[in-house]
Amino acid sequence: MSYTAEERALIWLAACSELDGRDRIKLLSAVKNPVSLFEEAEKILPCVIKEAPKRLYNSNRAKREAQLGDFLRELDDKGYFAVTLRSADYPARLKSIPDAPPVLYGRGRRELLKEQAFCIVGSRVTPPWAAEQAKRIAGELARQFVIVTGFAEGGDRAAIDGALPSGNLICVLPHGLDGCYPAAHASLKKRVAEAGLLLSEYPPEERVRQYSFHERNRILAGMGAGALVVSAGERSGTAITARFASEFSREVFAFPYNVGSRQGVGCNELIKKGALLVTDAQDILCVYGYEKKEESEVLLSDEENRCIAALRDAGELHVSQIAERAGIQIFEAAAVMSSLEMKGLAVKAGGNRYTAL
Amino acid sequence: MIAKIICYALNGLDGIPVEVETDVNKGVPSYEMVGLPDTAVKESKERVRSALKNSGMLFPMNKITVNFAPADLKKQGASFDLAIAVSLLKASEQLVGADVSDTVFLGELALNGDLRPVNGLLPILISAKGHGFRKFVVPADNAREASFLGGAEIYPAVSLSEVVKHLTGLHRLNPLETTEFVAGARGESGADLKFVKGQPMARRAVEIAVAGGHNLLMVGPPGTGKTMIARCLPTIMPDLSFEEALEITKIHSVAGTLGEDGIVTVRPFRTPHHTATTVSMCGGGNRVVHPGEISLAHGGVLFLDELPEYKRSTLEALRQPLEDGKITVSRAGGTFTYPSRFMLCASMNPCPCGNYGSANLTCTCTPSEIRNYRKKVSGPLLDRIDLQVEVDNMSYDELTSSDREESSEAVKARVNEARDIQRARFANAEIVTNAEMGEREITVYCKLDREGDDILRAAFEKMHLSARARARIVKVARTIADLDGSEGILPKHVFEAVSYRIFDKLG
Repeated sequence: MSYTAEERALIWLAACSELDGRDRIKLLSAVKNPVSLFEEAEKILPCVIKEAPKRLYNSNRAKREAQLGDFLRELDDKGYFAVTLRSADYPARLKSIPDAPPVLYGRGRRELLKEQAFCIVGSRVTPPWAAEQAKRIAGELARQFVIVTGFAEGGDRAAIDGALPSGNLICVLPHGLDGCYPAAHASLKKRVAEAGLLLSEYPPEERVRQYSFHERNRILAGMGAGALVVSAGERSGTAITARFASEFSREVFAFPYNVGSRQGVGCNELIKKGALLVTDAQDILCVYGYEKKEESEVLLSDEENRCIAALRDAGELHVSQIAERAGIQIFEAAAVMSSLEMKGLAVKAGGNRYTAL
Repeated sequence: MIAKIICYALNGLDGIPVEVETDVNKGVPSYEMVGLPDTAVKESKERVRSALKNSGMLFPMNKITVNFAPADLKKQGASFDLAIAVSLLKASEQLVGADVSDTVFLGELALNGDLRPVNGLLPILISAKGHGFRKFVVPADNAREASFLGGAEIYPAVSLSEVVKHLTGLHRLNPLETTEFVAGARGESGADLKFVKGQPMARRAVEIAVAGGHNLLMVGPPGTGKTMIARCLPTIMPDLSFEEALEITKIHSVAGTLGEDGIVTVRPFRTPHHTATTVSMCGGGNRVVHPGEISLAHGGVLFLDELPEYKRSTLEALRQPLEDGKITVSRAGGTFTYPSRFMLCASMNPCPCGNYGSANLTCTCTPSEIRNYRKKVSGPLLDRIDLQVEVDNMSYDELTSSDREESSEAVKARVNEARDIQRARFANAEIVTNAEMGEREITVYCKLDREGDDILRAAFEKMHLSARARARIVKVARTIADLDGSEGILPKHVFEAVSYRIFDKLG
């Protein structure tokens, strides 16, 4: 892949492991054109940063060229691409945040970067109903938006599952593109890279660090036109994403939770502070001026109707309670419930209990 | 003079005739044993010497040679004592006129001449009867076990002197009367489904599992009655037939775990602890190969509580016996095959903290912790468990007002009906239950209508079911249809069967 001189300079700057994010911003604001940074690093660096790393003092242009050449070749070999602040397709929304990453590494469908994006996040501990709803909403939103999410289990996973079939999906990783965290998502990573897009601000070999989740969350919030919080505990990383989103003046949406439910304390807190309450995709779509498509009705048998009615009345019920309210045998209710589960109207909440969707 | 006495050695579950030949010659007094006797057999020298002396017999002060034939078979255990003593008496001409040629002598001797019981008596008697022997002298303590044989003259003796009096005709022993086999004769363990409060789903799963011979996994928080439900399994299984009881008794007789009844009348329920080794589970041992837990559970239930806590290698070893219904153990002492057709019932917590899916407690486990915990049970093993059911962590009383606790008796009646249907279906096949059906039987007996097939296809897509799960679901659906008395498999049966695959949905 070919890069312009500006892009090359930015990629070199981002790959300099001796510098941290603040140094880079300082350097970029000190010069008009990043190309001059690349060409005269040994002159500019000591002026801008007090204690610039030794290696950078000693480097000369030829050396930098060689390093950069190697690095770009490596990216090409692995099938990765780099998008810089000066690239045409750098996500427009992301550009506007205070510490936008100078370079993003990507793998998959680059064209998704230009699309309007929407962020869906959730904590790893997401109750089954919330995961199922998030999956459905992600699927519906994916018709209008590219869904941006993380790569964790729980809420992120639900969003991935919902959006992956349409391919309108960007996963932003908290580590380099080579890694996979959690390791169990290795095959999922491959599928996302094929159908959607994997994105990371870290060089490919960078490992996951505790703070990198925090840093990554600003990209999630920055890319989306809004953010839906599927689940958030009391001290959840998801809440951080929501905070970023409101700092960047993005619309924040959240699922409502029962009072006292630990998995949703953060969500309820967000709603209290003014986040929009979401119960279906329409709640989000209408904010952005989209019409929801009419869905065809699912045909249900008499027993199914009675069971789902009982379940909808109560929200969550044990299978024996469903049976009693629908007036059928318990094992019959179990059969009906797995039928409803397949039709996407109910979800198993564990312990033989079901939740209506 | 040379005397020949018939005795039996155990080889796995089969008795092998051993001739005890004794030669008493003039010469320097000595006492030799040849023919591959092991330590316990060699030690019988001293027991026999003392027992003879203390029974008022003479121990010949001559050159004595005892030979065990066939010479290439290792002789183990103390059950040869009586045969050696009788052959010594015969050879030293202390049993004049007694006919001992077609009698089998079994028993261990005490120093005072009393007869002690031996392990594995029933399998020996069954084999010996098959070999054409009709007369047996056995220890009186084994009489109960022996009395189930029938069709043979079995003389129970308390001591060596009784045996001698019997043989010389001074005082004849009374042959044993055959005992009629009554299934479930032994007092119940007290387990009954009527004591299990609530748990409607688990009850139903247990019923299906027993009706179709399926293996069962119960998932639920600790202290919710998983063990209690499992203990009820034998109470709803069909009664033992005499043939089954004999086969089970053979294993327990060899293992020496037979109770006072002398025969197993209720289906075994084995609960090996999770520290059990592969050898204790599958059988083995240094010289004597003992049947393992899976063989002791033959015809009954093997209950593995806290499944993920078992060693992986131990669990993997169960896979082959689960398929074949028998296990072949090879050791230096020989190769032995023990039957092991058992119903596997396992239980586990849903997650490390135990609260996953709980109504009122919050699970504190991360998804990866839960996944790692569940991964301890391998896919291939789970694949052999047709029914997976969640056990509720709250009492049913909280949920409904009406009590509907059924007794084991009522459930057993339905199980028996379903089994009758299966027996008729598999009349010409070698299998007995739905769970044993292979691909061929499934295509013949488990035809799904279009709707049922559509459901399964939808289930595969929606719930990410593994391809291997299909056959399991179909078999369970067949059993549910049988319990329902339905000829064909209806959609509702398929739906219910799908609901017992909770593990497949976890992805």
